Amino acid sequence: MSRRDYLLRKLGFSLMTVVIVLVINFVLFRILPGDPVRAVIGRNVRISPEVQQALRVQFGLDKPVFPDQFLDTVGQWARGNLGISWSLRRPVKDILLAKLVNTVILIGLGQIFAIVLGVVLGLLAGWKRKSAVDVSALTFSLIAWAVPTFWLGIILLAAGSSWLGLPTGGIVSPANVSKPLYAVLPDLGRHLILPTLTLTILYLGEYMLIMRSSILEVLGEDYILTAKAKGMSQWQVLMRHGLKNAMLPIVTLIALNLGFTVSGAIYIETVFSYDGLGKLFQDALTKQDYPLLQGAFLLLAVSVILANMSADVLYTYLDPRVKAN
Amino acid sequence: MLHEGWTENPDTLNPAYAYLTQSYTIFDLIYNGLTTESPDGKYVGALAKDWSVAADNVTWTIHLKEGIKWHNGEDLKASDIAWAINAVMEHPDWWSSTSNYANGFKEVTAPDDHMVQIVTEYPIANMEYRLSFLYAVYPPDFNKFTSAEELQNFNNFNAIGTGPFKINVFDKDKGILILDANQDYFDGGPHIDQMIFQKFDNADALIQALKVGDIDLISEVPATAFETIKSYAGVQAVKEDGRYFNELILNSVAETNDPAPKRNPAILDPAVRLAIASAINKQDLVDVVLQGIGSPGDTIVPPTLGGGFWHNPNIQEVKFDIAAANKILDDAGYKAGADGVRTDGKDRLEFRLQFPTQNPVYPRIADMLASNFQQIGIKADVEAVDTDSLTAAVTPTGDYDMVIWGWGPDPDPDFILSVLTTDQFISGGWSDSGYHSPEYDQLYLDQQEAIDKSQRQQIVWKMQDMVFNDRPYIVLYYEKLLQAYRSDRFTGFIESPLGIDIAQSLLNVTAVK
Repeated sequence: MSRRDYLLRKLGFSLMTVVIVLVINFVLFRILPGDPVRAVIGRNVRISPEVQQALRVQFGLDKPVFPDQFLDTVGQWARGNLGISWSLRRPVKDILLAKLVNTVILIGLGQIFAIVLGVVLGLLAGWKRKSAVDVSALTFSLIAWAVPTFWLGIILLAAGSSWLGLPTGGIVSPANVSKPLYAVLPDLGRHLILPTLTLTILYLGEYMLIMRSSILEVLGEDYILTAKAKGMSQWQVLMRHGLKNAMLPIVTLIALNLGFTVSGAIYIETVFSYDGLGKLFQDALTKQDYPLLQGAFLLLAVSVILANMSADVLYTYLDPRVKAN
Repeated sequence: MLHEGWTENPDTLNPAYAYLTQSYTIFDLIYNGLTTESPDGKYVGALAKDWSVAADNVTWTIHLKEGIKWHNGEDLKASDIAWAINAVMEHPDWWSSTSNYANGFKEVTAPDDHMVQIVTEYPIANMEYRLSFLYAVYPPDFNKFTSAEELQNFNNFNAIGTGPFKINVFDKDKGILILDANQDYFDGGPHIDQMIFQKFDNADALIQALKVGDIDLISEVPATAFETIKSYAGVQAVKEDGRYFNELILNSVAETNDPAPKRNPAILDPAVRLAIASAINKQDLVDVVLQGIGSPGDTIVPPTLGGGFWHNPNIQEVKFDIAAANKILDDAGYKAGADGVRTDGKDRLEFRLQFPTQNPVYPRIADMLASNFQQIGIKADVEAVDTDSLTAAVTPTGDYDMVIWGWGPDPDPDFILSVLTTDQFISGGWSDSGYHSPEYDQLYLDQQEAIDKSQRQQIVWKMQDMVFNDRPYIVLYYEKLLQAYRSDRFTGFIESPLGIDIAQSLLNVTAVK
């Protein structure tokens, strides 16, 4: 099969997955117990049953779930319209886009640091197995991987704000709130230090451990022995033959992580009051805001699928076996 | 500049569709009603200079103060206020969060620029309270909508009001709201030049922010952090009686309800109810579960409403007395079985004791209650239930025995009294106990129309008596309002159950030199 056919087939499967996810999402949120109108208005207000009913009509909840609500929703999606959030009263698309940018900045920075440091540490540890470097990198990684996100975040927040005067929350200072992000980069940077550090530490361990075991496995292969026998230096062996082959599991891991971290930064965003998607997902769920929930989960599904697809594409370059099959 | 931290943004700055308390905190600063509640619980004029009702009890005449200007510099006219109230009356379902305040209004007019006249269909006793929530909104911003959805999707983030602060910017995504002082405020402008409200997504970060001085004020301090905050240098922690209370709901649903209630019928026995009340140690709940941050409760009208005017002080609390509770059940013919659980041969005293998962304190309260009940031969099966599922099981289904839950009453007793009326036990209604007393329902209507305050007070007291003695609710405790501020930077806050961040308090605040 040519690479083109292979990719087209993958693309087809991905689109099918998106459609299935959309349908499941629609059903899933509606079988949750409870009343979205009550969830939106809360308990401590004086909203008469008539007014609640008026809201129900406005949200389309007075109609049967199937076929009316379903067809309404599908019709909107078909027109590229994700609807209007019931709790925020703004178009879902605008909300998601605004938050996505912020989350991508945070996740992007955190992942880049974690990947680079993790791969390098893993490589060193695997290469210098049982040395002091290996033992300390291994210990650090195990701890970093096991530590609860929320706890680490709070500790870094307390330490960073007390000793270094770093901000306790938010994405920019109040004085800069009306300016576009690119105009206040130093301020944005100050707000990003602690959350990025937390994210880096948390993912670093995972990358390091996978890289270490992967490189150990590769270094035991016959072709490494052959390469050494040809008289290549240790460094050449490691870079030319070791690294490329050992990267395969890491690529899979990165793809999985990138997809899921779009939502997975919930804890970090919550600790640092960072205006991203994570907190939005949680709010949408507690308020049973169907349009927002559907939009958010669509975005999540698409990003996981996209990340997986890019891993597949990368594989065709990294692993000759994929091309052959 | 005073920097306040909280854990939620206002949902909107449009009074037509606002549900979160944070929205009302901001409304209080940027808008005005004709009246406003003062820290002592009495109503005073805001836009209104004075108001009076004619001998017919339905015609209200309200005179406005002089020199009131909108934030854009235009003069406010009485016709603007009349327009705003008429808008609510015309489309109650569009103005979903304010329409209740205009219920029973027949006609609102502005005979001249400084006078508003309101004619109602029947006498309205709590007019002052209602007028405090019917905010004067700027008509040109609100007169262009053609449907409920359009109006409610309008967030009014650049709100024009008449209040002591005006909008500088509200970026809801970034969680930052900045208000500038309105130096032209008709009652005299604030001494601070700016208010910043910042949203924190978790309470630990919020407290850390106060500690390091990133913020100056916390509107709601979590009870668990109160003692810690007290020890911070330069920080003043404030504890006030609050409006919230928590109660034990005893299933009181009518046998004729549709669907028929599902419960252990023994819960209806007045002797069982009294025994349950006697077996609850409220002081212990407050001391152990709430670490002292609360006070034992008795009636559904907390002592903070109207500065204490509406709370019935004559109610004699049922004393915590296990022996007495046991005797009540003995006398009523309930004998302990082999497993220690009492029965009268027909009904076994085993009840479900449920609570919504929303409140972290409830599980511990449930455990304490269950162990007390055990000492009087009542078995309580404790169960945590998701809030929505519990709501569905309770109203109007009546599928429960005992439930722990809470309320945050409005400043006027009308709302919390309405919660126990028969009419409210319908889908979307607020009644959870299913209490149904024709006498109570009639008293509820009477108090709505009792223009004479002391007459209304008598009715409201009587209603509290009824609820206390029939026990659809056993009120467990009243919550405290916990706030904190940087006293090394600001001074002059007025401490009251309304909080230190209401307009009247902030108008009094000055920076420490």
